[in-house]
Amino acid sequence: MTIIIIILKFLSIVLGSIIAGFIGSLTGLGGGTVLVPVLTLFYGIPFIFAAGASLISTIATSAGSASAYTKKKIANIRIGIGLEIATTTGAIVGSLTLVTIDKNHLIFVVYILFGVILLLSLIPTIKKIGAEIPPETKPDWTTKLFQLTDSYYDERLKQRVKYHGIRWWLGEIVMFFAGFVSGLLGIGSGALKVLGMDWAMNLPMKVTTTSSNFMIGITAATGSSIYWYEGYINLFIAAATAIGVLIGAYLGAKVLVKISNENIRWVFFAILSFLGFDMVFKGFHLINFIITFSLTMQFFISIAISIVMIGLLYWHTKRKVFADKQGDKK
Amino acid sequence: MKNHDDEVIISYFLKAGVIISVSFLVTGVLIMFLKNGGDGVTLSQLSSYNYAYHHHIDSARISLSNIPNGLTSLDGLYFITVGLWVLIFTPITVVFIGWVSFLEDKNYLYVAMASIVLFNLFFAMLVIPRYVV
Repeated sequence: MTIIIIILKFLSIVLGSIIAGFIGSLTGLGGGTVLVPVLTLFYGIPFIFAAGASLISTIATSAGSASAYTKKKIANIRIGIGLEIATTTGAIVGSLTLVTIDKNHLIFVVYILFGVILLLSLIPTIKKIGAEIPPETKPDWTTKLFQLTDSYYDERLKQRVKYHGIRWWLGEIVMFFAGFVSGLLGIGSGALKVLGMDWAMNLPMKVTTTSSNFMIGITAATGSSIYWYEGYINLFIAAATAIGVLIGAYLGAKVLVKISNENIRWVFFAILSFLGFDMVFKGFHLINFIITFSLTMQFFISIAISIVMIGLLYWHTKRKVFADKQGDKK
Repeated sequence: MKNHDDEVIISYFLKAGVIISVSFLVTGVLIMFLKNGGDGVTLSQLSSYNYAYHHHIDSARISLSNIPNGLTSLDGLYFITVGLWVLIFTPITVVFIGWVSFLEDKNYLYVAMASIVLFNLFFAMLVIPRYVV
């Protein structure tokens, strides 16, 4: 009888991971950003195990969907490997920081940080909603030196899009933090990688999300090996999440090339804001800080806050787009 | 990259890595359920997260040098271990392929950069577990 319960437990983790992997792949986030909150908040798994299972599964998402993207030649492997210098270094520092935090029993800090970083990663996303191809910029000295010029074929626009990256050094700085966050929180930190390439280096959104997806695997591999020796990986959970996330990522990759970027951004904005608020509450809950709602209460408060926030922002953006169109007519 | 087949090769490597990894994972999971656990731990101990957390039933107690023994004795946990390590090595092969193709292109700046990435990866894998943590 117990074995049936355990099998169901296993399958339920697989199911949660499929959903996380699907969203992760669709957004270029890499699954972990959704998986860690899901495992800790809904399955009651200790943060350390959630982070361990998530980070190693992130490699599966990354590899699974990157194999589809690289073949289509959208992802830029050269730029990706160049930026990996910073992400792998960051991942080493980040994982060692998590080890220190865990040894000092300060894991609530990680929950709050997780939520805050989740919510912060939404800001650059909202700001650029609707921009498929980045604004024209002049190449700078790093464009030539680090060979940041390339092109890809956009299936939706039905044309070859030429692009060039700028401010390589700024990209590297953002990538260090992306790697740090990846090692610290057990996620792919795709949002920060997207920020590094989209905002800092002014690369097109398609190139950014696909290249980040491919880079996530390398960053996660660095953190995972440190996690392994630290004992952060529970084989029962990790096997379930790796399989589930992979299935989800496969489905997500099938969909990604077909949908518009604007939709991608709204989907990840909606889900992440809820998970972000809930993680912050959970962190405060752990130390009984000011508010000690029950976990169910937290859940509904988080939903309410995110619905209001997304609603307002969606309305705001739509109104701006409408106003811009009116302005064009005049 | 001048040689445009590299992207196709990388794509195959990623796919192969994932397929090998998943085959080991699925086999491991099936054996784990059939044998009610593995490596001296029962299934219910493994799946009670808090019990496992407090009794250190995790990756740290699995010694990689036991893998050959674990596989030949059909221990599910060691199959899962192999599956997860194949997963870790999959993206590393991609950096390695990139390194080779940069070398072919005589793109020495990127050869150097890919070398740093590989160094970081092996530093995390071999040096830190032994000397730092």
